[in-house]
Amino acid sequence: MTTLDQPQPLVTGTASRDRTDDRRRTAGDTVIRVMIYALLSLGGAVVLIPFFWMLSTSFKATSDLFNYPPQWIPQPALPGNYVEAWTALPFNRFLINTVFMTVLAMFAEIFTAALVAYGFARFRFPWRNGLFIVLLSTMMLPGILTLIPKFLIWRELDRINTFSPMTVGAWFAWGPSFIFLLRQFFLTIPREIEEAAIIDGASVFQVFREIMLPLVKPALLAIAVLSFQANWNNFEGPLIYLSTLEKYPMVLGLQFYGATLSNAAPQWNYMMAMATVMAAPILLLFFLAQRYFIEGLTVGGVKG
Amino acid sequence: MLSWYTLALVDYVVVGVFVLAAMVGLHWLLRRLGVKREAATGYALILPWVLGLVIWNLGPFLASLYFSFTDYNILQPPEFIGFDNYVRMFTDDNQFWNVLRFTLLYSVINVPLGLLGALLTATLLNQDVRGLGAWRTLYYLPAVLPAAATALLWRWMFTENGLINSIFGPVLSLFGVGRPAWFTDLDLVLPSYIIMGLWGVFGANTIILLAGLKGIPRDLYDAATVDGAGRFRKYLDVTIPMLSPTVFYVLILGVIGSLQSFTVAFFIETPRRAGTFMNVYIYQEAFDRNRMGYASALGWVMLLIILLFTLLVFRSSAAWVHYEGEKTNG
Repeated sequence: MTTLDQPQPLVTGTASRDRTDDRRRTAGDTVIRVMIYALLSLGGAVVLIPFFWMLSTSFKATSDLFNYPPQWIPQPALPGNYVEAWTALPFNRFLINTVFMTVLAMFAEIFTAALVAYGFARFRFPWRNGLFIVLLSTMMLPGILTLIPKFLIWRELDRINTFSPMTVGAWFAWGPSFIFLLRQFFLTIPREIEEAAIIDGASVFQVFREIMLPLVKPALLAIAVLSFQANWNNFEGPLIYLSTLEKYPMVLGLQFYGATLSNAAPQWNYMMAMATVMAAPILLLFFLAQRYFIEGLTVGGVKG
Repeated sequence: MLSWYTLALVDYVVVGVFVLAAMVGLHWLLRRLGVKREAATGYALILPWVLGLVIWNLGPFLASLYFSFTDYNILQPPEFIGFDNYVRMFTDDNQFWNVLRFTLLYSVINVPLGLLGALLTATLLNQDVRGLGAWRTLYYLPAVLPAAATALLWRWMFTENGLINSIFGPVLSLFGVGRPAWFTDLDLVLPSYIIMGLWGVFGANTIILLAGLKGIPRDLYDAATVDGAGRFRKYLDVTIPMLSPTVFYVLILGVIGSLQSFTVAFFIETPRRAGTFMNVYIYQEAFDRNRMGYASALGWVMLLIILLFTLLVFRSSAAWVHYEGEKTNG
């Protein structure tokens, strides 16, 4: 809450000078405020127009795609595009696969990240700070570097073209940023709360589940959204490990779609329809959890 | 049909149980060895991450270093060839230079521009505007859109007769410029990616910077006012230094993220000669052309570049990042 735009009380000066000064400032402020809203609206338009265009295109007839001037509201509007695009490829199957991988990875990832974060935040042990620095520095490690050896490991385990590479690794707390975020939240909770419970004879796991986890709910929700987003959109993993169409997640279907159909004329309306479908759950989740989400997201940057 | 899911579920449960059992086992073992309860619990709790570090980071990290000195096509065992991969990269691979130039230019232009735009927007949003929550949600939207959808959407808007050219074409024709071909024009691939990238990232940066601005104590401004500082002076002497740790955070994440762009390139067709992102090139070398050794060497060069950039930002931060009180947690 800055006060940059509000008239500041003058320390010195007569009453009349006070008033003229105030009026001049207020007039200037009005101009500035109008400019602020104008600029913000312009930025908002830049953000929103592509979204609107995606939605609008998804309902258009193929013959209307390139109308000039651009047709903002589709005439006629064809909701049938969604059905046709969905059934042109086995999107039912893609959806099941995506949900399957997302749910498994999310649960293991959040569960282990919370345990590890709790360990780093609350227990003193030798090398703790050193290990935590190692954890932070793994964020810098480019994923592509370890990709080939990881691929070879899964190949040795005979798990190529299975869902396991996208789900099993989540048990090893594979998101260092989630651990970091949760640790920051755990640190803000007063120790007395746990100590009281421990004196009452609660075990570490009880304290963790019944006291600590409920207290960091905003962070858990933020991480749930981020984790959902990352796994739902995971492209690199399926691209490398999956090779049969029936095992593809939606994002690979989308790519397959764009690439194969573009050999003829790209079916932009179908493509936009499927892009909308893929984005819809994430957008919905974001709207539902946005308060927690933004709080959780920003804590790393501010308290870090 | 169902068996794929069953197999994946079995793997998942087995590994999950193994990790939890290992935690309990480690705790028991450490206690037997006379380690204090608190330390034993701590080690047990961070075990999943430690296991992951060894199995999925450290091991693969060292393996890729070894592979980078070999000729390895996955079918035959790797053959040690010394520095040949690195030599070839710098002396006999034009596409490498193309890709390197493309990736570096993308980051070097995209990150500062995105930061400046976000700083401006966050400053505007911090002027007691009405409906702040709605603005914040609005500006964050592009970051929520899946990368695949973003790429397809911009590819569609950037087609020759697409939305962008329909809107800006008439303006351009005033200057006698024809309709740009964006992603399919050799010279415009990079600018097109930068425009798309800016749209995608600046909102998220805005939200983080705005939180930083909100965290600046008000009495600092009051003190500056008493000292007779004007609006601009206050921004320069109070806002910028107090915000610098947040700017630093955004900058580091921006550099690391933008250097590793990957997904978008698979949804947009561009001329090969224009270059692409380094991670895409590494993927192609490894999985399209089965050159695992060469791809590993490229990966190591990528790591060094990321380290170099991060180090640069860290080193320079001593000069411009201001830490109030240098408080440490935990």
